[in-house]
Amino acid sequence: MTKLYNVSSSPHVRSKLTTGGVMYDVILALLPASVMGVWCHGIHALLVILVSIATAVLTETVFNYIAKKPNTARDGSAVVTGLLLSLSLPASVPLYIPFAGSLFAILVVKCFFGGLGHNFMNPALAGRCFLLISFSGIVTSFEVDGVSAATPLVDLAAGKVINISEIFLGFSNGVIGSSIAALALGGLYLWVVGGITFEIPVAALVSFSAFIALFGGQGFDPLFILAHLCGGGIVMGALFMATDPVTSPVTSSGQLLFGAAVGILSGLFRVFGSAADSVSYAIIISNLLVPLIDEISIPVPYGNRSQSNEKKGIPKSAITLCIITLIAGACLSGVFEMTKETIEQRQMEANAASYREVCPGAEEFVYDDALSAAVESLGGEVYGTDFGKAYINEIVVGNDASGNVAGYVISATSGDGFDGNITLSVGISADGTINGISFTELNETAGMGMLCGEDAFKSQFSGVNVDKFILNKSGGSSADNEIDSVSGASVSSGAVVNAVNAALDFYAANVK
Amino acid sequence: MYRKTFHGGVHPKDQKEYSRNASYQSYLPKGDLIFQLNQHIGKPAKPVVKKGDLVLAGQVIAEADGFVSANIVSSCSGKVKAIEKRINVLGTSTQAIVIENDGQYTLAEGIGQETDYHKLTGQEILAKIKAAGIIGLGGAGFPTHVKLAPKNADQIQYVIANGAECEPYITCDDQLMRSKASEIVEGMKIMLKLFPNAEGVILIEENKPEAIEAMQKACSGEAKVRVHAVHTKYPQGGERSIITVVAGKHLKLGMLPADVGCVVDNVATIYAIYRAVCKSEPLMERGFTVSGDGVKNPCNLMVKIGTPFSEVLEAAGGIKEGADVKKLICGGPMMGFAMANLNAAICKNNNALTVMTEDAVETAHEKMTACLRCGRCNQVCPLGLTPQMMAAAAERRNYERYEKKLYGLECIACGSCTYVCPAKRPLMQLFKQTKAEIMAAKRR
Repeated sequence: MTKLYNVSSSPHVRSKLTTGGVMYDVILALLPASVMGVWCHGIHALLVILVSIATAVLTETVFNYIAKKPNTARDGSAVVTGLLLSLSLPASVPLYIPFAGSLFAILVVKCFFGGLGHNFMNPALAGRCFLLISFSGIVTSFEVDGVSAATPLVDLAAGKVINISEIFLGFSNGVIGSSIAALALGGLYLWVVGGITFEIPVAALVSFSAFIALFGGQGFDPLFILAHLCGGGIVMGALFMATDPVTSPVTSSGQLLFGAAVGILSGLFRVFGSAADSVSYAIIISNLLVPLIDEISIPVPYGNRSQSNEKKGIPKSAITLCIITLIAGACLSGVFEMTKETIEQRQMEANAASYREVCPGAEEFVYDDALSAAVESLGGEVYGTDFGKAYINEIVVGNDASGNVAGYVISATSGDGFDGNITLSVGISADGTINGISFTELNETAGMGMLCGEDAFKSQFSGVNVDKFILNKSGGSSADNEIDSVSGASVSSGAVVNAVNAALDFYAANVK
Repeated sequence: MYRKTFHGGVHPKDQKEYSRNASYQSYLPKGDLIFQLNQHIGKPAKPVVKKGDLVLAGQVIAEADGFVSANIVSSCSGKVKAIEKRINVLGTSTQAIVIENDGQYTLAEGIGQETDYHKLTGQEILAKIKAAGIIGLGGAGFPTHVKLAPKNADQIQYVIANGAECEPYITCDDQLMRSKASEIVEGMKIMLKLFPNAEGVILIEENKPEAIEAMQKACSGEAKVRVHAVHTKYPQGGERSIITVVAGKHLKLGMLPADVGCVVDNVATIYAIYRAVCKSEPLMERGFTVSGDGVKNPCNLMVKIGTPFSEVLEAAGGIKEGADVKKLICGGPMMGFAMANLNAAICKNNNALTVMTEDAVETAHEKMTACLRCGRCNQVCPLGLTPQMMAAAAERRNYERYEKKLYGLECIACGSCTYVCPAKRPLMQLFKQTKAEIMAAKRR
């Protein structure tokens, strides 16, 4: 019998590129950012990266073993997920954070949905969002040399000037993969080897910039837009997260629409929401839109396009997509405009109630031009040097029924809370006696920092006439100016005392 | 507008080095010759000889049955041994005339008679082409006398000679253009006689500079014939890609090139037209490449139609010593058919035998993963289809979506998507199968 040769369907040659090769390219593209991350943030960053990758690979291997599936960990996709997740974390996190994040990303988001190619959300980002929700304080606190510091984005929100070149190289405070230069280099490499297409990053960055220019509040200020582009992970998101092939659309027009959605949602969440996580949420929400985007962006093959469209060279789908994007953008901003007033009104009502609480004799609150000008002259900068990151928001004069000054209310904020800002109102009667304090913004840890809002703590500020309070961490205070710290919440208590002291200082300087 | 390429496509290694500089050698088969009756698209030809008849080279042994069909001509002299089912390149069997070759190659009367085509009418030219049994020699095998008689002959703008030869390994058209340039230009002028308002375009990929030069030289001084050099990219030689590049028009399912004012024929077909019309030589032989890393002497042969593949491989020195051949492909690796053995015989539209020591399909299968949705297949589809979505629909047997929403039946099975897929999904196999199933359901 003669030898029989292999038969199969053509083509009988295949490109060298494999799934493993695609993943390898992504890892290679992330290498500069990883190296810069370790360089700038120290050896702990390397540990975070390694724990994250190891957890991802092990989780997938173990799951496949238990589920009796072929081990897919070798294709490198788990390494990519682990690496991306770790690069989106601050360098100072304890090591159980990357472990928990990677475990969730691989097990719940990837393996439970069928493994590679079947997950509907970017696993790394889903893992990050899981961490943001579960360990909010840790994942958004950035430490440099053991000192907690604000990210450029927080500084930006506070209206400060930031150093863009520092961010560009990655020396600023931020996540491990925050070097824009290294990320851009990796992105460029990936684009050259065909790992990503230009559609998603370009659409995302352009629409994001446009959104910031339109709604960012500073108009078309190139430096302001550039600062927003450099901070908060929009570059990493646009280049590496949104371009994850499994969870992004497959057609060119679909990718443009998807990129635009990512950019607009990022801008929306950043301008009107919580700054640090806007891109993560924007991308995973856009991930959910992918099946829909795929469906509306199916191209018509060349021969079936109508003659008029062919002449113009613009596929009908692209026009449709542009219109949809515009409508969506208009709707989003419309909703914002509508809710903005309501939110402001609520805020004003809450403030008024708070003011009344700390200024009992007042019938109405009015602004005093001279005092308001004094607040204005602070320019939104940190107040003084002795009060940590404290800000004076406004001062109002409370008039009694007959129009005489009943007291003053100063609203102050401390940025040193354990979990974000603490804003409070300090009421001071006309004779200088402190009536009390009332919180308008307090998001501290339940059962600990939140106890600052209880009367037991608050009442310590009432009915005394002092220039400055002192925090007593050991308890048992007797003097008027001593405040017992809430047990186990000295950070929150300290922030409250700083804010009150800032208000008193402002009062002493401008009213007395 | 002078376009250099089309949208999409892939760049497989062209592998032409094996045989690109090997000049044509004639090969005369020693054993029996096998003439399949359905070498062309359309109805199989009707045998006009019976077992035991003596035939001469150039004699019609089967006649066209109906309009879309073609004559079959014996390429040797000898005795009809049998009319029976024989294996074809697809591995199935088809009715064939087997002729016991007497090795004399005695020509039938009138063959080789010189004719001046200027004195012939269009009808006479078509009659000569039909009698010669010429079909598209590039692959599909559409009867040429039918293609050259569209209803709108006056509206044809371009008569295109396809010398792209985008399949890896194959070099027979390249060598033909180098050695028979003036004959091809003459053949083009014969065709232009049928299409008074048309311009002749010879389309060649840039990886064949000698052929471009030879053809340019041959058509210098010709007012209506020009060479169009294009970028090397697969599938440039596909009819749709060619029409896109030359005329800027796109075809859709059910449309013929004539509908957009084009007639496309392979350079080998045009050479055959020249021989049939000017030399009264019917289609008995064709250029053929034997190449690949598993063959001893890669070469270009002028072979007789009906020669078994096994003899052609012998003519090229057989399998290289020590080579562990995995695959024998009729045609090139992108669109050719893998054959289990070499028992089939060469039909008019077979242009190459590629002998490969590596089975990329086998290795690809081992590396197959789930679809990554990377979209590379969408980028390379020369028709602007979405193979990724087509595959998803086909796997779910959602044929309605496959056909109506995704235009899946448009697929020309060029295999670009399958070539480029990093997850090594067997996309084209799925598309061929799905198309067959949909067509079968329609016929029911």
